Amino acid sequence: MNARVLGIELKRSVAPWPGVVVLGGSVAILFLIDGIWWRGTAGWTAQWTPMALWTRSWLAYWWPLAAGAGAVYGLRDSRSRMTELLATTPLPAWRRAAAPAGAMALALVTGFGLVVLVGAVRVALGPTGHLTSLGWLPISLVAALALVAAAVFGMGAARALPSVLTPPALVMLLLLAELLLRQDNEGLLPSGTAPNRLALLSPAVAEPRELLLTLSGSVHLGQALWLLGLLATGLGLLSAATRRARLLAAAPVLAGAALALLILPADPRGSYVVDRAAAALVCDGPVCVTQAHRSQLAALAPRAEEALRLLHDALGDGAPASVREETALRALADDRQLAGDVLLVDFEDPLVVGASGDGLTRVLVAQGLAPNCAPRTPWEGGGLVDVPVQSIVASWALGDHRLEPLRQPDPGEYGQRAWARAQAAWQQLTALPPAEQRARIARAHAAALSCQDGLAALTGEASS
Amino acid sequence: MRWLTLYARSRQVPASAAAITLVALALWALGQGGGHGPGLNVALLVLTANVAAASIGLGGPDEALERTAAIRWPLRRAAHVLLGGAVAGAALLAVRAAGPDLAPAAFVVRDGAGLIGLAALGAVLCGAPFAWTLPTGWLGYTLLAPVAPGVVGQVGSWMLYSPATTASAATAWALLAAGTVLYAVAGPRR
Repeated sequence: MNARVLGIELKRSVAPWPGVVVLGGSVAILFLIDGIWWRGTAGWTAQWTPMALWTRSWLAYWWPLAAGAGAVYGLRDSRSRMTELLATTPLPAWRRAAAPAGAMALALVTGFGLVVLVGAVRVALGPTGHLTSLGWLPISLVAALALVAAAVFGMGAARALPSVLTPPALVMLLLLAELLLRQDNEGLLPSGTAPNRLALLSPAVAEPRELLLTLSGSVHLGQALWLLGLLATGLGLLSAATRRARLLAAAPVLAGAALALLILPADPRGSYVVDRAAAALVCDGPVCVTQAHRSQLAALAPRAEEALRLLHDALGDGAPASVREETALRALADDRQLAGDVLLVDFEDPLVVGASGDGLTRVLVAQGLAPNCAPRTPWEGGGLVDVPVQSIVASWALGDHRLEPLRQPDPGEYGQRAWARAQAAWQQLTALPPAEQRARIARAHAAALSCQDGLAALTGEASS
Repeated sequence: MRWLTLYARSRQVPASAAAITLVALALWALGQGGGHGPGLNVALLVLTANVAAASIGLGGPDEALERTAAIRWPLRRAAHVLLGGAVAGAALLAVRAAGPDLAPAAFVVRDGAGLIGLAALGAVLCGAPFAWTLPTGWLGYTLLAPVAPGVVGQVGSWMLYSPATTASAATAWALLAAGTVLYAVAGPRR
């Protein structure tokens, strides 16, 4: 009986549409726009946690939409002037409310779930699809709960205030809240201008930039409590018949918000934590990568060992002794934390990602001799100025007869000029006696580690 | 005069006016606090809220009955749309004159025009109670989706560009023209 009513609701009402919009809208944004979510190690199909966070980041839009759609749906009875008639039926109000609320919840969960499923299939089929933990699942579950809670709350609000203005007012209020509570990913940890506890009441998250960051357990718990309160209030308002019941229905959301504010962390350091399972190191001799990039180790290890040997030839005892994946968290555009004894490999670096075989050895040698201080990731391109000096030191260490570029120089005037300067520096370097060449390379190495101009050190100019 | 009063009542003008006043008062009160938030975005939200509040009046209680009246509806409908847009924009400009300066006047005029055009289109396509969905949906897209490069971005995110941008201004005025004409000719969906 109830299944039949649910089926009729789904077939004959607007209930499926919010779900269709969430599914279609998310898929359209993700696939039609060649956005930053396709790039880097925190791309939406790269790993499980970023997939869950990226799909959830669109909630900034879908959350107000779900509430508005719920409010439109909740106005159905009053729009067709049937409230009094329906109030005379012997069925208790909560049972009458259950079918439309259930239909909308089903549609939203299905729509959002399919988006996550599309991402999950792509991650699972990708090279890093092995599941390190199920830590990503609560992120998506809370997102689905948020959509359902917003829709049901919208229905209840429209039932309590049956005005045409209720749906747009609700959407506008929630959009404003999302705008004010929004967090960005530019700092060391995602944060916003609003106090952290308050900002976490919004279920949308900042766009993920660091692969190893995930939401902490207290965030999941606090948000789940607040959203359950919102859901209970929505159901209460939907089934309330008297003014007193309507007032009482506000209690769950207040209690949920109060509890959530107690549980939610006051500081971004409490809301975002490093995923230990993903960050654990897997080593092959002196070469270590995180568990998340375990699949890269087989290709990396032999090349890295060869690069370490070449570096020892070039730098002697000052050469790095081990290779490790770069895992330190950075604020956007901050310098990398370099060290002389460890060769850091950044899987966000397009030069590292695009290289294989001998090309990978060359990139690793370049990183060991003259690491770039400014990071090269899809989010920041500062380190590209170091490509000329890296090309020179790599060519020198590999014993090339002519300068091999690590990356094809830009055809533009600026790129060509930088390349001409690199050629001149290469001629100058190779014309020197071997002992002087080694000294120059060592000087360039030291300059790069202390974030100074490596090219100037190489040509013997006073470094600025 | 009597006709105007009755028309205003059937179009829920008191409710719309109350909502617009409330939004303006809230903005004014919050602006006094001296918060320098994301000004342009808040201006867009307020403008869209005003347009949404005005848009509920784009249809009467009995559309079929009204159409039988021997009245020249197209002119009146067009005037209604333009007046609604003017009030929505003027409310924001009034708050701007009294306190927080969120956006330049040319920006408010251009965006108000485009948004009310969208609301009129919404009334034609979905009916007056759902006319707010089009302006609100486009606003959500503008606020949250990344701006595409080139002319596509200038058209898609027309609300954000400077009023001097030709493609964005053209989009806004085309929306106003299309919305007003279609609404005047076809009226709200029954």
